[in-house]
Amino acid sequence: MKVDARHAAGAARRGPRGRTPVPAGILVPIARSFVPGAIALLTCVLAIPARAQSEPPAAEGAAAAPRIEELNGRVESMTEQMQTLQADTDKLKRLKLSGYIQARWETAENKNDSVKVEKSPAVITPANTERFSIRRGRLKLTYDSSPLSQAVVYLDGSTSGSAITMRLLEAYVTLLDPWTFDRRHQLTVGQMNVPFGYEIERSSSVRELPERSRAENILFPGERDRGIKLVSLWTPRLETVIALFNGGGINDPNFPTTDPTRGKDYLARARWSEGVFDAAVSWYGGRALTALTGPDVSTDRTRFGADVQVYYALPVVGGGSLKGELYRGRNLNVDSVKTLVASPTTANPVTLLKPGAVGAHLATEVLGWYAMWVQNLGERFQLAARWESFDPNTDLARDQFERASLAIHWFYDGYTRFTVAYDVPRTEVAAAAGSGFTDPTDNLWTVQLQHKF
Amino acid sequence: MRTMDLRLRPRTALAAAVVLIAAALLAAAVPAAWSARGLTVKGSDTMVILGQRWAELYMTSHPGAIIQVTGGGSGTGIAALINGTTDICQSSRPMKEDEKRKLRDRFQTMGIEIPVAKDGLSIYLHESNPVKELTIAQARDIYTGAVTNWKQVGGGDVLITLYGRENSSGTYVYFKDNVLLGRDYSARVQTLPGTAAVVNAVARDPNGIGFGGAAYAKGVRDCAIRKEAASAPVLPMPQTVQDGSYPITRYLYFYTRVRPSGDLKKFVDWVLSADGQAVVTKVGYFPVR
Repeated sequence: MKVDARHAAGAARRGPRGRTPVPAGILVPIARSFVPGAIALLTCVLAIPARAQSEPPAAEGAAAAPRIEELNGRVESMTEQMQTLQADTDKLKRLKLSGYIQARWETAENKNDSVKVEKSPAVITPANTERFSIRRGRLKLTYDSSPLSQAVVYLDGSTSGSAITMRLLEAYVTLLDPWTFDRRHQLTVGQMNVPFGYEIERSSSVRELPERSRAENILFPGERDRGIKLVSLWTPRLETVIALFNGGGINDPNFPTTDPTRGKDYLARARWSEGVFDAAVSWYGGRALTALTGPDVSTDRTRFGADVQVYYALPVVGGGSLKGELYRGRNLNVDSVKTLVASPTTANPVTLLKPGAVGAHLATEVLGWYAMWVQNLGERFQLAARWESFDPNTDLARDQFERASLAIHWFYDGYTRFTVAYDVPRTEVAAAAGSGFTDPTDNLWTVQLQHKF
Repeated sequence: MRTMDLRLRPRTALAAAVVLIAAALLAAAVPAAWSARGLTVKGSDTMVILGQRWAELYMTSHPGAIIQVTGGGSGTGIAALINGTTDICQSSRPMKEDEKRKLRDRFQTMGIEIPVAKDGLSIYLHESNPVKELTIAQARDIYTGAVTNWKQVGGGDVLITLYGRENSSGTYVYFKDNVLLGRDYSARVQTLPGTAAVVNAVARDPNGIGFGGAAYAKGVRDCAIRKEAASAPVLPMPQTVQDGSYPITRYLYFYTRVRPSGDLKKFVDWVLSADGQAVVTKVGYFPVR
């Protein structure tokens, strides 16, 4: 017979009818603080019966009274100190520190020992695709100031971008409504995730594949923006979100901190949850600006999204799910900009639309989707497979991106998971006339160790 | 419709196949290895003694079985269920929606809820307190801070000292949801780490009031509760809790990630059997079967 040692001991001391429980954890530091006091107290308690044996009852009472009074004083003093400590502990408990680290090794088929040199003065870009990196190093501070307000600061340090820096990922204040029983309406202001779609809002620490779909990466680069959102839970099943954002996201190379368009981008989302079946639709509308020498070009930035998830459980094997998401809309197309806008040269240092080009054509209709299957294998393994497609211009053939991704996770403990993933992308790249398109040899292995705290 | 050219080179395909097959084999083998450490049960402090009694008796009657029981609070147990560090979560409250979503994120399941006992949530008063009964509304006013003096509810002219539980406690959440109707606890509530600590505090404090499992009330007096001002006062007795006439009753739960199978199922079935439910009565709670 085996019972956890700490609690087996506790069981001997406590019982349902008022036997004192072991005040685990919290009282440990307090107990340490009072060890000298407790020893003194014990000495006094032991001293009392010893003296009582040698004195008559009346004298015993008279002698013990001041001692008992002294002990009462000490107990009162300890109680006051405990209350002070508890008040301090309660304040600290409002601060939550969480985060995760993803240490990664990647190797792609197109790895080599070369670097790329471009432009003048020379810009040297490492071309080799085999490397160790810190994909995400996230630190989140949440302070629950009161039951009605909360502040969050979320930082990221990684070596995946062009620099090794700590950057502000999110910073926002949330107000919870005081009118409803379970705070069903929450207003958030600041820099936050754009609440469009299923995969955007899922933390990378729980996602089943190392990266989000290409459609999401193109349509919502960085996943975050500055603005305001109202989340309302109308019933346990129905949740709505309405929001206003600057629109450019936090990774816009031209306007990283400003909003070049007067109007704000707007978003609406509704989600229905049945537990084993969730579905949602999202709408996003706004304008994107292309800065030119002369009149700028403003184009539509619209997205429609729909997502669905179905969950099931297989006996013995474990839970599984099927997930799908669709993105449709109009987006500024990088290739169109390259084609229709004349880049500045030394002789003609202006950025203008090429003669005959139409500004509205800088944006194109896009279509993206993915379908994913996730299967838990027992308690510690999980298998995930995804097929995705993204067409950056539905009017143009041979520009699609498709990718098959496979991953297996091993959960080492409750906080650490080891991932091996394999991506098989098919990128249609315009080739020499007559040969159609080519697909670069760029399949990718990713091995990742993640620890979440 | 175009066809997909995955361009999977033979060596790459072979490597991918080897890794995935090895992983699948590990997946099949490792759970068996892990199960050798026995079952872990974690969660509600209210249920920790009940869980320990179940474990002790089960291991006695099932030689070779190993069950480890720890407390920490319902919230702690649910977190352990979500991060995979316990097989069974003991909880004195139902799982919240966001907790179910977190479980779903990791294990693709909504969790299995198994009511294993019933409990009456008692309001404790000091033996010398002249107040014998309270309505639910009065209890709510006391714990939200609207009522601060015993005189306002028929007692002496002294300030009320409030004792309660930490927010990781299922009892804390249940009391807040069902007695305070979601309102916030008064800032004057002194939080204590377990029900027995609350009982001890009230037993020492003539002006104190606390709440917790009915089974723990020793050295304190249970307060009779009126559902409405016009209702009859009801004490948390076995019969009144079981027939539902005592207004603050709740179920105590086991939660598992998936439908129990193997050793886990055997233990859960035993807990729900006549032998297991007899333990519930002995410990001071009320059987569900």
